[in-house]
Amino acid sequence: MTDLLGAPGAGAGAALPPVRAAEGLRLGWIRRLWPVLAPQRRVVVTSFLIGLFSLSITVAVPTIVGITIDRAIASTASPLGPFLIALTALALARSVLSVAYRYGLYRTAYRVEVDLRTLLFRHYSGLSFGFYDRMQTGQLVSRAQSDVRSVQLYLAVAPLILTAVISFLVAIVVMLATSIPLTVVAVVALPGVYVVGVALRNRLFPLSWIIQGRQAEVASVVEESVAGVRVVQSFAAEDRQLREMAQAARRLRWANVEQGLIRARLAPLLENPPRIGSVLVLLVGGWLVVEGRLEIGAIIAFNAYIVLLQVPFRFLGFFLILGQRARASAERIFEILDEEPDIADPPDPVEPEQRSGRVELAGVRFGYGTGPDLLRGVDLTVEPGETVAIVGATGSGKSTLARLLCRYYDPRDGRILLDGVDLRRQSVERVRRSVVVVPDEPFLFSASLLENLAYGRPELAQVDGAVPDEVVAAARAVDAASFIEATDQGYRTPVGERGYTLSGGQRQRLALGRALLVDPEVLVLDDATSAIDVQVEARIHRSLRRLRADRTTVLVAHRLSTITLADRVVLLDGGRVAATGTHAELLASSARYREILASTIAVEPGTAGDDPAGDAPAGDDAAVDDAAGDDAAGDDAGAP
Amino acid sequence: MSMGPPPGSPLGGPAASGLPFAGIPPELAERAQRILDREPDHTPEVPAFSHRAPAPDPFTFSRFLWPSRWPLALALVLVAAETAALLAGPLLVQVGVDRGITAGDMQVVAVVAALYLAVIIANVGLGWARGVVTIRIGERLMEQLRNRLFRHLQRQSLDFYEREQAGVITTRLTSDVENLTALFQEGLVQMVVQGLTVVVIAVLMLLLDVRMALVVLVVVVPALVASSLWYRHTSARGYDLVRDRISLVLADLQENLAGVRTVASFHRGRHNTAVHESLSEDYYRANLGTARSGVAYGAVGEALGVLGQVAVLLVGGLQVRAGELSLGRLFSTLLYLGLLFAPIQQLVQLSTTYQQGRSSSRKLAELLAREPTVVESPDAHPLPSIEGRLELRDVSFAYRTGPGGEQGPLVLEHLDLEVPAGETLAVVGPTGAGKSTVARLLTRAADPTAGSVLIDGVDLRAVTVSSLRNQLGVVPQEPFLFHGTVRDNLTVGRPDATDPDLDRACAELGVDDLVARLPEGYDTAVHERGVSLSAGERQLLSLARAFLARPRVLILDEATSNLDPQSERRVESALDTLLQGRTAVIVVHRLSTARRADRIAVVDRTAAGGAARVVELGSHDELVAAGGTYASMWATWESHLSEAERDGSAR
Repeated sequence: MTDLLGAPGAGAGAALPPVRAAEGLRLGWIRRLWPVLAPQRRVVVTSFLIGLFSLSITVAVPTIVGITIDRAIASTASPLGPFLIALTALALARSVLSVAYRYGLYRTAYRVEVDLRTLLFRHYSGLSFGFYDRMQTGQLVSRAQSDVRSVQLYLAVAPLILTAVISFLVAIVVMLATSIPLTVVAVVALPGVYVVGVALRNRLFPLSWIIQGRQAEVASVVEESVAGVRVVQSFAAEDRQLREMAQAARRLRWANVEQGLIRARLAPLLENPPRIGSVLVLLVGGWLVVEGRLEIGAIIAFNAYIVLLQVPFRFLGFFLILGQRARASAERIFEILDEEPDIADPPDPVEPEQRSGRVELAGVRFGYGTGPDLLRGVDLTVEPGETVAIVGATGSGKSTLARLLCRYYDPRDGRILLDGVDLRRQSVERVRRSVVVVPDEPFLFSASLLENLAYGRPELAQVDGAVPDEVVAAARAVDAASFIEATDQGYRTPVGERGYTLSGGQRQRLALGRALLVDPEVLVLDDATSAIDVQVEARIHRSLRRLRADRTTVLVAHRLSTITLADRVVLLDGGRVAATGTHAELLASSARYREILASTIAVEPGTAGDDPAGDAPAGDDAAVDDAAGDDAAGDDAGAP
Repeated sequence: MSMGPPPGSPLGGPAASGLPFAGIPPELAERAQRILDREPDHTPEVPAFSHRAPAPDPFTFSRFLWPSRWPLALALVLVAAETAALLAGPLLVQVGVDRGITAGDMQVVAVVAALYLAVIIANVGLGWARGVVTIRIGERLMEQLRNRLFRHLQRQSLDFYEREQAGVITTRLTSDVENLTALFQEGLVQMVVQGLTVVVIAVLMLLLDVRMALVVLVVVVPALVASSLWYRHTSARGYDLVRDRISLVLADLQENLAGVRTVASFHRGRHNTAVHESLSEDYYRANLGTARSGVAYGAVGEALGVLGQVAVLLVGGLQVRAGELSLGRLFSTLLYLGLLFAPIQQLVQLSTTYQQGRSSSRKLAELLAREPTVVESPDAHPLPSIEGRLELRDVSFAYRTGPGGEQGPLVLEHLDLEVPAGETLAVVGPTGAGKSTVARLLTRAADPTAGSVLIDGVDLRAVTVSSLRNQLGVVPQEPFLFHGTVRDNLTVGRPDATDPDLDRACAELGVDDLVARLPEGYDTAVHERGVSLSAGERQLLSLARAFLARPRVLILDEATSNLDPQSERRVESALDTLLQGRTAVIVVHRLSTARRADRIAVVDRTAAGGAARVVELGSHDELVAAGGTYASMWATWESHLSEAERDGSAR
């Protein structure tokens, strides 16, 4: 989390210290939340103290009412006026106090929610791509939505419950002072509430997990239908999707009904024991009054106290359920926060003496996750200003190599040097500023064309004012200016989600422009011009070179037109560099190179008339298998 | 058939597929399993999908509840009985005080206490029954609503999905429906319970003593009602604001997750965090606004609670002192006053639920009122078995931009194109000139702004959408794979395909070895959007899917451009098999594919920034000979090839 956002304690959100894994999760998820809660402690304590004041008034009122009845109503010993004036004054004072403490507590809960969201967001943006390779976006969003919300709800309610519990204790003391037997009968049924509460918790806790899982299921069906809408519509597969939703909705309904039935059975049991207290107060209090051992006002006062005592118990059940939910949610949030990023800044980043764009790979070995090695010792040097094309069969690791250059992943073995310094010893920010990879399926954001182009230079995308010349120049260089200017709002035209209203070629050109504006020393084009016409591709490459002649360019090439743009070609085969030289040299010297190119030629016009179906490549199993890993990492656009 | 979770899995769904958050913590697993053991096999009825617009049925909460009116009436009866049981208490206390305690008759006190206990027991039973009835109604309604919303989404045209953010759509079917559930379960039912309580108390108070009752009902209750109205007004706006802002927060998060690589590449972590924080701050401030009005309202309510007691003690107390009123009636009124404030305060808390539910309900109504841009006409007939002749007749097209669906500039203008049955036509042209739009029109993913699109001479708008799409095969540029198994993905267009069908199709397309290599064959699960397969493999599966559907006409947005040569050769070969004997329109990005087509249509703008039309049409040889746009594209293409070709053939 530190690599993208600067060291902890620096940068935008320095106020939030990282939340670290506590050794015993069982011991208390609240404790793990402490770093988020700590900044709020002064407000919480102040609000809490004010709350106690307010509540002591609440507890005093029934006793005063009881005394009023005994002294000024049931008898005429005292005048009624002074009692009523005192009650009025107390009521007004309590309102002022309760505004203060409740607002303080709510504000804290909302603050914590926002801080938790920020914390999660920052953590998300620092996690390694291995994590995203195996996660569904829907699950991640749900962490930040339902889970954060349920923690927030709990935090908002918890202090209110706590003050209610304290007022409960104070009320008990006041009641004992009036009559010990009456107090005993008033509270005798209350432990029943606790017993029922435990039973409720035991049944609802596992269900709340099941329900949350099934809510995510519904969300996943929707997300997939949205992301795959073209396929669904093309194959008239709506019925299939409807069945998916019907199944998910039914499963969610079942779990919700189970939960509701448990509540229906236990909730009334949770609510009624205090009323048994009222019955006993009437019975025993009546007897005490008849015996002359108690004044009648106490019956009214005790009934009011039972109503007051009901509050914590009534909410205790709700609070227990909230607590279960919040804890389940917090644990899922911690699961995310416990994910450690693999790619992080070194303690003392080294800045190379000169930023010239020299790339050197020495004995680089790499594979995804726990998969087999895809690169088995790559040695390669690319000099500043050089344009190198990487050519290889499927699964040879071309794209993987590209991703290693900007340190999306670290090699298992060997070193990658940029300007003579190992990538792992430089700051991640510096590496990513120097090396930009443009993928073949670029991701565009729901923002204007301008904001997408200036994605790496947000200062150029100010909301007001003219479009900066720099942006226009970049758009021209990548042949995007004409189609941008043809849109009705020009550079301010919003891009539909994931840029769907743009064609593949337009998206690729925007991605190239976006990279160009960052002006990196090393530009890695991972088949980044695949959907662009050949002439345009050549023109773009000429402008790229004109703009910065000393830029190092690595082309992952899938088509001949791209290969011919390179100074030098590197043939990647069997996880190693098999040959290197100019296109012509390799054609002359490497049989394997000719073999790979020949398969290109087979589908291009030179040999039209061949029947490609007749000689489909038979084997290359290992290579295709490896490609699985290659692609697992590849698809930004893959998440809906 | 299920791409979702297998019915037997513990949590089911994506969470069960070995990812982190596979769900239930181990110590709860046993208990959760005991719950799940009770779960029956679900076989929900799913009526067949139709593109035809259903009878207009504007969504309002009351219309939504109407079909369940009888069970709801039962719930109401139970609620009434429950309330009666709850409110009998203070009345019994009055009898106990006046006839028992004050009279010194302990027998009366004992009888009253016994009755009170019986009433409590009745309340428990009625509460249970009410809970059972309402949860069953509520959850059935929510299931229906989810399915209705989802069905409505399925009817929407492509442009809807391009305009709306995926996160917002998902929110409608998750949070918004859940808010509505809460509105029903906690909101509506509780409101009836509490509302009834208030009314019954008012009546009982009047019966006990008119003067005390009047003080409460004329002074205290109006003050509470006035402050409630104020609160309702303020909080309604507040909650709408909160919901809008949380949508923005979540949409932002969603996009950052989806584009995580780009964010990292351009080092936007810090900037985007700042943007996200500022969105969160807006959300926080909106929350504070609602908190402020809520807290103020709560305080007014509390003050009125005590002031009400003061008023009753004054009016009732003076009467008692004068011997005009029994102490029991004063007690009973005080107890009812206490019971009156609790439900009113709860009603206020429920107003949060109510506001959220109302706001969600409005958003759902908005979504359900949305008509797709491609609408099936009420008298559309099923398309008979076609030969496959396609025609675009004087077609113009403009995308609708903006939320209001205003028309953008024309992309295509007066475009004419005819494809005879069985022909393969390649559509080429500069990027952005409208090649893909042509494919879109042919599949009726959009309707032309002017002119018509015909298949076998029939206007596409005259036939049912599913009968059209059943005979059309479309291979989109991006090979999308669903979560589920390879089989699930292959049979999308033909759900009844058997394994031998799959074997045959895969063998014909030459992808059988790919399937054989997968660890569990057709049952191999593909991860989210098929990430565990290579791009080439995904494309092959996507072609096999189209092949299995055996369409008469194939519309293909060429997706072969980002493959390495070997995969590409396999895809090309599979494609050749797929095209045999079919009419095909291929949106081509590589001229090598174009050359293999029977004819080529060059789509280009006639003026810079203008709309496109067909500028050249003919076979590869004809167009090269004609020396136009295509010929120059070809020349560039070829110049790149000559060297490799020469050396390659000399090998």
